[in-house]
Amino acid sequence: MVWETVAGAIELLVFPGFLFIFWLSLFYEWVDRKFYAKLQYRYGPLHTGPKGFLQPFADFVKLMAKEDIVPAAADRFLFTLTPIMVLALSLYALFYVPMVPIVRNVALGAFEGDIILVLFILTMIGFLKFLAGWGSTNRFSAVGSVRVAFQLLGYEIPLAIALLTAAMAAGTFNISLIAQKIVSEPIIGAALLPALAIAVVCFQAELERIPFDIPEAEQEIVAGWLTEFSGRRLALFRFATDVELVLAAALMAAVFLGGPYGPAIPLIPVQVSYFLWFLFKATILVLVLSNIRALFARLRIDQMVHLSWRYLIVIAIIETVFIQFLLVMGVIG
Amino acid sequence: MAMESELAGAMVRKPVTLIYPFEKRDVPPKFRGKLAWDPEKCVGCGTCVKVCPAFALELIGRGPPAELRYYLNRCVFCAQCVESCPRDALSMTEAYELSDYKHTIIEFKRG
Amino acid sequence: MSGEYEPESIFEIPVGPQHPALKEPILLHFKIEGDIIVDVIPRPAYTHRGIEKATEARNYIQNIYLCERVCGICSFIHTLVYTQGVERLAEVEPPPRAKYIRVIVSELERIHSHALWLGVAAHELGFDTLFYYIWRDRELVMDLLELITGNRVNYAMSTVGGVRRDITDEVAHQIKKGMKIFRERLDVYTEVVEQEPTLRKRVVDVGKLSPHDAVALCAVGPTLRATGVKRDVRADDPYQAYDEIPFNVATYHTGDVLAQIVVRVLEMYEAANIIDYALDHMPGGPIRVKVPWNIAPNEVISRGEAPRGELFYYFKSNGTEKPERVKIRTPTLANIPAVRQMLLGYHIAEIPIVFASIDPCLSCTARFSFIDVKTGKSWVWDREQLRRYSLKWYGKQ
Repeated sequence: MVWETVAGAIELLVFPGFLFIFWLSLFYEWVDRKFYAKLQYRYGPLHTGPKGFLQPFADFVKLMAKEDIVPAAADRFLFTLTPIMVLALSLYALFYVPMVPIVRNVALGAFEGDIILVLFILTMIGFLKFLAGWGSTNRFSAVGSVRVAFQLLGYEIPLAIALLTAAMAAGTFNISLIAQKIVSEPIIGAALLPALAIAVVCFQAELERIPFDIPEAEQEIVAGWLTEFSGRRLALFRFATDVELVLAAALMAAVFLGGPYGPAIPLIPVQVSYFLWFLFKATILVLVLSNIRALFARLRIDQMVHLSWRYLIVIAIIETVFIQFLLVMGVIG
Repeated sequence: MAMESELAGAMVRKPVTLIYPFEKRDVPPKFRGKLAWDPEKCVGCGTCVKVCPAFALELIGRGPPAELRYYLNRCVFCAQCVESCPRDALSMTEAYELSDYKHTIIEFKRG
Repeated sequence: MSGEYEPESIFEIPVGPQHPALKEPILLHFKIEGDIIVDVIPRPAYTHRGIEKATEARNYIQNIYLCERVCGICSFIHTLVYTQGVERLAEVEPPPRAKYIRVIVSELERIHSHALWLGVAAHELGFDTLFYYIWRDRELVMDLLELITGNRVNYAMSTVGGVRRDITDEVAHQIKKGMKIFRERLDVYTEVVEQEPTLRKRVVDVGKLSPHDAVALCAVGPTLRATGVKRDVRADDPYQAYDEIPFNVATYHTGDVLAQIVVRVLEMYEAANIIDYALDHMPGGPIRVKVPWNIAPNEVISRGEAPRGELFYYFKSNGTEKPERVKIRTPTLANIPAVRQMLLGYHIAEIPIVFASIDPCLSCTARFSFIDVKTGKSWVWDREQLRRYSLKWYGKQ
């Protein structure tokens, strides 16, 4: 009883809990920046730590130490609440995604229906970003927050359809069980590849990266909804962005590629194999997201919403019908 | 998608960045760097002072024993003084790392 | 902003004087309805440095380097037009070899300026990858310029009466090699511009200008040629060696930002061709002639085709070593009314790319407006008011 509580506390706080997510998110920011730089014939971070490994950490520490200015006209409550809530929600959503399930065989808080909870949290995060820009009472922030809301309209539905199609194919709403099902029946994973492609595009929009970094478009509206944030609040927002990157990669890896579960690697304990499989799949997804970031120009907001409603949703619905067809024919499930 | 082939090329090639100050490019010949003065050839005519667009040169004294004061922070490295000098007493070196914390005034002296 | 949405209300956004979309300070006051721009009020003059007044206190040789620093990107065309003007004042003809060398450096500068612009336009669209790639290839041209002139910007190549340095055979060989490589890279970028869908979505039918409006608003340079009007100082009023070198004036018919990109890429190809032709047909002989120190009283104009359009200098000499008046009209100033027209009716997201499409070099642009600090009122004078004030100032009324 005591051992379970202690183990639970360690899982929550250290591994694969808060501390692990902290360093993993900084690691993925480093991977993203180095790969993006490599594609552009540059070096990326170089001098802080070996190969610039500590650069994201240095950026975080520097921002925490800087002056935190709240504009006089801004809504103090929203200004303070939104960075904390966005960070808290993205960390919270990670507890339902199986990353390295050590004590129990599933994610920390796994239950039947947690994929719907994660979808809800993603929507809440988008809405909180809208509130963050709105509470800043700055023209550029206002434009940026309106764009966040528009973009949320764009990516939310195809993302939901794609994720729920995977749930349907696996026959369960528990993310960890979906992952286990895909590993045990790889043909489901193959059938879900179009849904993975849609999820990749939608997560690129959720993370506000090129070609969908419209709400934060630097050249047009200074920094969009982030404009007025500085110091600690900005540090929390940037850290939340990194955690969302981990969330996106881990969620896609779990729901479409089987997450930490995979064929057992000989000669090492099963927990280490969980860790390696998870790292492998999530890192590949981060590299794919970085590649997309380097490949395109930025779209306009109405072009993004058009793209989503004319193409992404259609492809997502066709995929759902296809999966239903396979289910009815008994090919899967 | 049009840039994908370029990106694939970038993954196998070395970055083009030079990690300054550990890696530096060679300076081409006849580069216009810091000014150098040959006191043997100078006769103190003052032509260089007249043509400098930035008023970066000052003659101290007159005629052959004159000395030159060179305001490094005003110089625009146009080399007009080098070109106008009737005795070829001025030339441009290859030094280009000239930043400093104070206004650099170089006193060219004889002997 | 109040809580209620009023569709008729005008939302004002000041872009500038400091804004990530602008590389140099200018104030563009936008009035926006929903997401569409309905009015733009441009206020240039944040970069006024008093260069025209400063030229009156320096002799003609010192002024070469002063006028060179009006702009960093198009510095050579400023010296070329300046020295050309002083040569016309003194009624001296530079030697043919000097003219050819000036053409070569001028075209190399055009290439580097257009490559810089293409990278900056890609950056304004969020296409950072293209920005890095183009600037990497632009380094090739910068290295060539450093080899020829001794510096990467502010070349100080042209002087009154000719050029200061010669192009040796070794350097000519390097230039030809560089042009060959650069043409191959240009082919890659042409293909990207033609085929990248996200790029095309952002530039096709954006910032359209009709040929009639372009001529009426006095647009110059690639902005004018992108609407289909074939006007180029190099062809209409050939200066230096342009009457001996055959080349095409690049135009495109659509008048939008894509046309500006196409025109500038075509001009880069043309510039590479001009350089090759000039290197092959370079005459021998001296590279400079002597020009008197004091220049007799005279009044001339001198024009050149800067990478951004027509650059116009007016000179007046009074018999001394210092000019009486030097007046500079830069191309970006002429394009500002046109860009105002190009911005109306488009989305906020298109502000950076449409404004960047005229290749704004705001360090060249300097007009002033009056601001009364006590009352906060600001106003501008038109030509008649300015003329009356200047007559009063010089005591001639």
